[in-house]
Amino acid sequence: METKIGLEIHCQLTGAKSKLFCRCSCDYRGKAPNANICPICSGLPGTLPLVNQKAVEFAGMISFALDCKVPDEIAFYRKNYFYPDLPKNFQLTQYNAYDITSIGVEGRIEYGGGKNARIRRVQLEEDPGRLVYEGGSMEASVYALIDYNRAGVPLVEIVTEPDFADPKEVRLFLDKITSIIEHLGLCDTKLEGSVRCDANVSVGGGNRVEIKNVSSFADAEKAVRYEITRQRTMASRDIEVRSETRHWDDARKVTKESRSKEEEQDYRYFPEPDVPAVVLGTEFVSSLRQSMPELPDARKERFVSKYGLSAHVAQVLIDNKHMADFFESAIEIYSSPKEIANWIVTDLMSFVDERKKEQERSLFLGLKIGPEHIADLAKLVDQDMINRATAKQILGQIVRTGEMPSEVAKKTEAGKIDDAGALAQAVEIVFKSEQAAVQDAKHNPNAANFLLGKVMQLTKGRADPNAALEMIHTRLNEA
Amino acid sequence: MALYTLDSGQVAAGVKGREFSAEEYIYQLLERIEKVEPKVNAFVSVRKEALDEARVIDKKIRDGEQVGALAGVAVSIKDNICTKGIKTTCASKMLETFVPPYDATVVKRLRDVGAIVIGKANLDEFAMGSTTEFSRYGATRNPWDISRVPGGSSGGSAASVAALECTVSLGSDTGGSVRCPASFCSTVGLKPTYGLISRYGLVSYANSIEQIGPIGRTVSDVVLVLNAIAGADENDHTTVGGKPAHSLRQRKGLRVGLVREFIEGAEPRVAKVIHKAADTLAKQGCGCEETSLASVQYALASYYTIAMAEASSNLARYDNVRYGFDLDPEGYEWNSYFAKARSNFGEEVKRRVIVGSYVLSSGYYGKYYLKAQQVRSLIKRELKALFKKYDILIGPTMPILPFKIGEKIADPLRMYLVDIDTVVANLAGMPAMSVPAGFTDGLPVGLQIMADEFQEQTMLDAAYLFEQAAKVQRSPDL
Amino acid sequence: MVTKEEVKHLSWLVRIDLSDDELERYTLQIEEIIKYLDKLDTIQLEHVKPIVAKKRLSDLRPDEPAGFEGNALGTKYRKDGFVKGPRMV
Repeated sequence: METKIGLEIHCQLTGAKSKLFCRCSCDYRGKAPNANICPICSGLPGTLPLVNQKAVEFAGMISFALDCKVPDEIAFYRKNYFYPDLPKNFQLTQYNAYDITSIGVEGRIEYGGGKNARIRRVQLEEDPGRLVYEGGSMEASVYALIDYNRAGVPLVEIVTEPDFADPKEVRLFLDKITSIIEHLGLCDTKLEGSVRCDANVSVGGGNRVEIKNVSSFADAEKAVRYEITRQRTMASRDIEVRSETRHWDDARKVTKESRSKEEEQDYRYFPEPDVPAVVLGTEFVSSLRQSMPELPDARKERFVSKYGLSAHVAQVLIDNKHMADFFESAIEIYSSPKEIANWIVTDLMSFVDERKKEQERSLFLGLKIGPEHIADLAKLVDQDMINRATAKQILGQIVRTGEMPSEVAKKTEAGKIDDAGALAQAVEIVFKSEQAAVQDAKHNPNAANFLLGKVMQLTKGRADPNAALEMIHTRLNEA
Repeated sequence: MALYTLDSGQVAAGVKGREFSAEEYIYQLLERIEKVEPKVNAFVSVRKEALDEARVIDKKIRDGEQVGALAGVAVSIKDNICTKGIKTTCASKMLETFVPPYDATVVKRLRDVGAIVIGKANLDEFAMGSTTEFSRYGATRNPWDISRVPGGSSGGSAASVAALECTVSLGSDTGGSVRCPASFCSTVGLKPTYGLISRYGLVSYANSIEQIGPIGRTVSDVVLVLNAIAGADENDHTTVGGKPAHSLRQRKGLRVGLVREFIEGAEPRVAKVIHKAADTLAKQGCGCEETSLASVQYALASYYTIAMAEASSNLARYDNVRYGFDLDPEGYEWNSYFAKARSNFGEEVKRRVIVGSYVLSSGYYGKYYLKAQQVRSLIKRELKALFKKYDILIGPTMPILPFKIGEKIADPLRMYLVDIDTVVANLAGMPAMSVPAGFTDGLPVGLQIMADEFQEQTMLDAAYLFEQAAKVQRSPDL
Repeated sequence: MVTKEEVKHLSWLVRIDLSDDELERYTLQIEEIIKYLDKLDTIQLEHVKPIVAKKRLSDLRPDEPAGFEGNALGTKYRKDGFVKGPRMV
């Protein structure tokens, strides 16, 4: 059964300092209700929209990062409908049905190792306000409570073609988008509600169902999965899937029939008379190219070519900007890219709490270490001061204590015993106490390993296994 | 001395030169308003505080401080222009209790030069109308004949100036709403090039077309106010750069085109006065000849399509939730609340909002709105071509004389037809003004002068030339 | 031909309650107005481009936040800072 999934992603430009059409701060979270508004974003009579230049540039960057065509001019349109969270009872957005006016069209991105998804368009628009219900639910309240703090915050909407065939692809694609957005630095995806994703799902050539109210990327995969199952079940019972809009119920993890008849809307789009067409200029794309932060794919390329990392390791690093940044900070302190990358990608990651990672979307939250710790650790290993096994032990300790590895090493005398004398002493002691094994080892090379094990035990793992084994062999041959 | 008969230049000079006090002048005006308002009904609200502001100016002058170019001059502001701390109603129930927390840019600029807001002027609700009969606060009456309309939608602005209740006024012009009442009340009224004057603070009706414009009894009044308020504003993206300054000049040899379609569409008594005006200009050394503006025939259809479409969207915000009149939302479902609150719009507003929605609705965009915008392009093109041949185009501002109150109110379409001469300038975004051309049967006729975009100076040159030559009587017997 | 049903639907679209009398009267008036606007169909407009105002990106508003001193909301129906609005269902 052919499944088609298309996505509509909304990404707040939290990197902007002011709203899209007024000078209010974009930083509305945690503020008292209606403490972050002005006549423009609360839709007072006589006010006019004033376009934020930086927001246009940010949207241009996203467009460009998604390989879209960026037009010479962009325009804003009014989408007219009534709703209590919409101060003007129209939303200022972009629209391409009459002319191409949005900031990007016809893009494409690679994701999930070799897959491709087409981007239909990228557009700039304003966020509405927020509705809160007394008693917590829509049904129970006698009135709605409206907070306009969020109204007017810039949003970039990314609409894909229905190029996804299963929820896994959706997840991989959204991970890529997250990585791109984080690398561009214009949206903090960790903030609640900063990225939202609606989806369109159709199964087996049936009607398309739109799923709205998906408030995080993590939920997108779940919502799509649920909806596919729902549609398949209906199809298997010969029930026709209606073309409709459904709401994702986050609490019960199901899609529900939508209360508002959104399909009956006639939005009566027309160009916003208060905002002239914005001429981007021919140098817009080229200047963006220069000033834009490095994109994940380019960064991966650089990790491979400049630092000699394997493609796999490089990919893991860039999949999460945090990790990639951590890596680059660490190698700045101590330049050993392969070693450090390995420590991060393999060992450090094992300490990352998966649940915490998803909830708080912070990779190394709760771990008390920074790039300097890993750099220090790598240095100790590289310089043969401690062996790998010891290093792993130390790591396990410092993620909780935050001590520097070299401190720990000094304290517990975890420095490798490379002093030949001390090693010879240890070997001597073992040879004396394990005489039977020594005799055995003269004929059986494997028994030498037993002796090695004893030396390691005696030196509490601090001996260099190679040096110890060499010494044992030498002694065996002597005797 | 009747200080209320002075023009703004004379008031400013007199106050600054301490010939009389601003307080005395404002006091006289407030007295005059009290006397005359029962007949004229030009104001929605009058400000007694104006007297305090006058005293402040007088003190400044006594103390040798600097005062602005219009210090002390009383201005009435059309009640669809936001004035901070002063109720701004748009003559509608939907803004019954609305007190703006900010000043429109034009108001701020006038205050910056010392002008005093003496009151908010009456208008057709949300500026939709040509007679000021569609106001919640009752119709304003023509000071020259109080049984007749003063024109609209800025009827209160023009009437308050004509009735000597204030010296100058600010109105707004979407399809003729400054020029029409200026003409009907025998005052000077100017609509600038689109983008010359900031619309920040003007309650939007048709925002791709409208402009704020000054009204005064003389051309010099209009020039002074225009210079105070015009110029780019960072709060309005549609304003054009620069800070223009205009002056009163003696200019000879203007090339004048008399628009055939306007003259032929006017009633004979009006046409006669306009022909005489053309002669006056010719005697002053201007070359006058008849010319044609064929696209006039589509202008009204284009104008009303665009205006109503934009109105239907601009007025969507009036849902009574954040501002409006007192109606407790508790107990209502939101759709019902919106629909019930908004049923309090006046009839004309309701009609235009509904028609506006019709022309924008799915499937009709290409048939109406897009076509109307294309017609604007045609009109502008035709006008541009004419302005290569002529410095100004003239004709009657209104095709008819001021009519009786109630005469056209039952027939919306008939009412719309009176805008035929004025909408062209709005559609093209070009400047146009009305100057008193004379009286016929005791009723005022206005001469409309149009110029190319940003050629306000040329337009004012012609207006001043005509005004000085024609010497039309300036105040009614009230 | 503009019908009462159309006017009723439009009045819903713009959220304006009309009385039966208003619906009756407006339908006739609106039909007349639309007929007049149909004049636009009689002109040749295929090659006419609408005038579009333009603005340079560099002339847009700089991204500098500023608070608003004053009270933007004019309703007395408030609760804990929120605006009280009609209920959603």
